[in-house]
Amino acid sequence: MKCPRCDSEKTRTMAKSPVGDVWEVFVCENCWYSWRSTETPVVLPKFKLTDELIANLGVIPPIPPLD
Amino acid sequence: MAKAYKDLREFLKTLEEQGQLVRVTDEVMPEPDISAAGRAASRLPNGPAVLFEKIRGYKGSVVTNVHGSWQNHALMLGMPKDTPTKAQFEELDRRWDKFPVPPNVVSREEAPCKENTITENINLFDVLPLYRINEQDGGFFLSKASVVSGDPEFPDDFNKQNVGTYRIQVKDKDRVGIQALAMHDIAVQLEKAERKNERLPIAIALGNTPLVTFMASTPIGYSQNEYEFVGALQDGVPTDIVKADTAEHLFVPAGAEVVLEGYIIPRVRVVEGPFGEFPGSYSGARLQCEVQITRITHRTDPVFESLYLGMPWTEIDYLMALNTSVPLYKQIKESFPEVVAVNAMYSHGIGVIISTKCRYGGYAKGVAMRLLSTPHGMPYSKIVIIVDGFVDPFNLEQVMWALTTRVQPSKDVTLIENAAGMPLDPSSNPAGMTTKMIIDATTPVPPEPDPRTVELLKDPVGTQKYTTIIRGLQQAMDQK
Repeated sequence: MKCPRCDSEKTRTMAKSPVGDVWEVFVCENCWYSWRSTETPVVLPKFKLTDELIANLGVIPPIPPLD
Repeated sequence: MAKAYKDLREFLKTLEEQGQLVRVTDEVMPEPDISAAGRAASRLPNGPAVLFEKIRGYKGSVVTNVHGSWQNHALMLGMPKDTPTKAQFEELDRRWDKFPVPPNVVSREEAPCKENTITENINLFDVLPLYRINEQDGGFFLSKASVVSGDPEFPDDFNKQNVGTYRIQVKDKDRVGIQALAMHDIAVQLEKAERKNERLPIAIALGNTPLVTFMASTPIGYSQNEYEFVGALQDGVPTDIVKADTAEHLFVPAGAEVVLEGYIIPRVRVVEGPFGEFPGSYSGARLQCEVQITRITHRTDPVFESLYLGMPWTEIDYLMALNTSVPLYKQIKESFPEVVAVNAMYSHGIGVIISTKCRYGGYAKGVAMRLLSTPHGMPYSKIVIIVDGFVDPFNLEQVMWALTTRVQPSKDVTLIENAAGMPLDPSSNPAGMTTKMIIDATTPVPPEPDPRTVELLKDPVGTQKYTTIIRGLQQAMDQK
């Protein structure tokens, strides 16, 4: 199963519904997008990610130097 | 003494008795029902809290819009639900001076939040009915958590213990992302831990007594303790806290529905977001911190409290309205006692209206610059309007009167370029840098010239009497 945001195949089930077998929540281990099986995720083009974009995302807060 | 609530459950009971909480008993889907209800309820003029009793696939219940109207806000303060906003501001101002009221530390056995403990196979979905808040959010978020952390340099200094609201994204069954912006107190603590490559212990308390949540999102000084303010705002009634299980120096609200304990993983940043934010737009994906959850304690049958935030106004705007206005008022008033009131209700103080008497020419501009040098106003406040002391800054018709008749733009509008800004304000560019605008809408006082002095209109004699007469006639008509 492909990630709806970054198209990675590194997706897995994060959780199953605690009551009944009515849904699963999936997560992408590349960009950490998550979605429920009952949703139809449509990620807007401006929120799509690639490995290059991920590598260049802003860092909050900056990691300080070691003492 | 005003009514104080021991926990969220007591407050929900009062809301229901006052017609300010509704229950949805039919089963609903996690998406989009819970968010849609939060959006709808906060748009109603006397919007109630909405309690969902059954969510498909989950065990527990969810309550949203708990703070989402002026009626609920007044009830939080133990005031009649029809109390006007300015009167709530004045009451908060009065109670603020009772700070500090030390909290009451209870034993583990006495703390309802410790009724159940989970240390193995931690799965947030077992305890919390998690759901997507806005369609383009990168996952499921905790939008109304009170996050407790300490200063690694002074772990036993209770005053430096921080209780703050930060957005939290569920990344896995036992791991969450957290946004710690450089301007926030937790970032000070995190930097100290990360410089030593140490874990920063934290506790995430969900479903708290309403003034804990209120104080967690109030901008106060780094060395001021939020719990001591909760006691003050409860009109002198201390709030109950209890030691966290995994960190000796951290204290959590004893009546919390759920407490997630763990630590921020040092020197690691992982993709977080987007998230629909309080300025009414999404903030994009960034590399942010993550928290490993190692322990959960919770009440039996916990209620998951969450808020909808979207295009203002939503619940978060009610929550961050007077709790932004009052501390800014206090800080400015200390330097300039002529200041009458501060309305910082617009996007957490990005827009601020201050009413003040002016002692000498240029005074209004000075008051604005004082706002812009407060710890919160410096990064957040961008549009500052100063009005005369007789103008009610909470009455936008009066404020517009001042803008339209007191302002000569060529001399009364000042721009301060390349100043600190709020990164989530999409007009700041680069994110976090902005231009400030001060609009002086006060009447000029010497030595500033006022070449066209005018006589202000006054109410005709008898206006007050006729207000009463007309109201009575109207009520009589309503009763027919």
